Amino acid sequence: MAESTVVPVLDVRGEICPYPMLRTNKELDEVRPGVAELDVITDHPPALSTIPPEAMKRGYGVEIEEVREGEWKIRLFKDS
Amino acid sequence: MATQAIEATRGGGLPRNWWAFGVLLLPVTVYFFALQERASLAVFWAVGIAAGFVIQRSRLCFVSGFRDLYLLHQGRTLRGLIIGLGVATFGFAMIMGSIVPNPATGAVPQDAHVLPVGIATIAGGLLFGVGMVLAGGCVSGSLYRMGEGYVASWVAMAGVMVGLFALNRTWNWWWDVTIATAPREWLPARLGYTGSIALTVLLLATAYVATLWWERRAPAFAVIPIKRAQAAPPANVQDDVRAALQRVFRKEWSPAAGAIALSLLNVMLFIRYRPMGVVGEISRWTNDIAAKVGQPVGVLKGLDTLAGCAPSITGDSWFTDGFMMNGGIIVGSFTAAVLAREFRLRIPRQPKRYVQSALGGVVMGYGAGLGLGCTLGAFYSAIPSLALNGWVYAVAMATGAFAGSQIIRRLA
Repeated sequence: MAESTVVPVLDVRGEICPYPMLRTNKELDEVRPGVAELDVITDHPPALSTIPPEAMKRGYGVEIEEVREGEWKIRLFKDS
Repeated sequence: MATQAIEATRGGGLPRNWWAFGVLLLPVTVYFFALQERASLAVFWAVGIAAGFVIQRSRLCFVSGFRDLYLLHQGRTLRGLIIGLGVATFGFAMIMGSIVPNPATGAVPQDAHVLPVGIATIAGGLLFGVGMVLAGGCVSGSLYRMGEGYVASWVAMAGVMVGLFALNRTWNWWWDVTIATAPREWLPARLGYTGSIALTVLLLATAYVATLWWERRAPAFAVIPIKRAQAAPPANVQDDVRAALQRVFRKEWSPAAGAIALSLLNVMLFIRYRPMGVVGEISRWTNDIAAKVGQPVGVLKGLDTLAGCAPSITGDSWFTDGFMMNGGIIVGSFTAAVLAREFRLRIPRQPKRYVQSALGGVVMGYGAGLGLGCTLGAFYSAIPSLALNGWVYAVAMATGAFAGSQIIRRLA
């Protein structure tokens, strides 16, 4: 990418299964189709195993970081 | 395996928050108080704590077992549950075999979850399946999520109580119309123990293979390894101990490990008392509260003939075995979540989620009352009881969960 831009953030804290995953899919498919990077913030541990495979199906790589106790940032990115 | 590559493992150390072990004070204190009152209270409390701990650690969610199959083509959780059912089947058979050595006589082990199987089983399972997907957790699942700090699950539980109240007000009608005359089919009475175990294992194996087949039907995708911060490899015994502690208290267990542990707890509880179930107790809370606010459910028919999670009424004390069990699940899950550093108050920000959890809870509560149990009592304790009602309930619940998944797809 030519210039670095602010990575868009999808905050799904407070959401219970399966909404963190469904809302991430919606963000990738409808709200920001083809977005290069997306940070998903979640406090729902099971989302750590549902969001990544769905993102991979769409060709995204995944990086998980524990932001603080019980809260994670899932960075989805497309290698260009 | 795609699912293995994405298994959650996180870095970070346990000893840094060693003070978190202070949360163990609550379960231990209550245990000794309960022990002074009655041994069974202490045992049910301990089993509840252990069950809450196991379910939290393995995130053993019965809802996701079914829902993920439909939404994600993922069968890992359901396969875990199937393995757990297999373990419990052998354990339960041993226990029932010592209670009723010759099943051909027509005797049925009293505490096993052999329940009337009929229209109520199917309708209850269907409603339960839809409701649990809407609510984002089944009844036992909501109990453990309550302990983890999910506000939506507290709302769902309130809904469950409303649903159980509605069911109990209509219970006598259901009893007269169908439940009283519905047959109780205990497989060993027809097939003997060997035949019943063989049939159960065969059906479980078929379900297991079916999930694998279903997963293969999903479009394939490239699995990219997930990047995570890596901890330094262990260098000495202290590090090894720390790593061992982390495997238990900090890292996620596989669904199969959790399901096997839950089944062993279930078998142990059945050896001493009876199989696990949580709904009968919640039904009792509902009836008691209803009576206190001037809306008594009245006399419910046929209760003394039913095992498992039939509605119940409060006797001389509120502190029953079931109360200790349900409370134990909440506290056990809370304890596990604090130790794993996963406890958080999770407050949904969209108002529609509360409505959804409450409505899902009501539907699920009505279904649980009608089907004489939830995923634990009418399914996880019923199939190993070698009872036909367990299988009928399972199929109905899976069908309901499918319908529920179609609904929530549109609610994201």
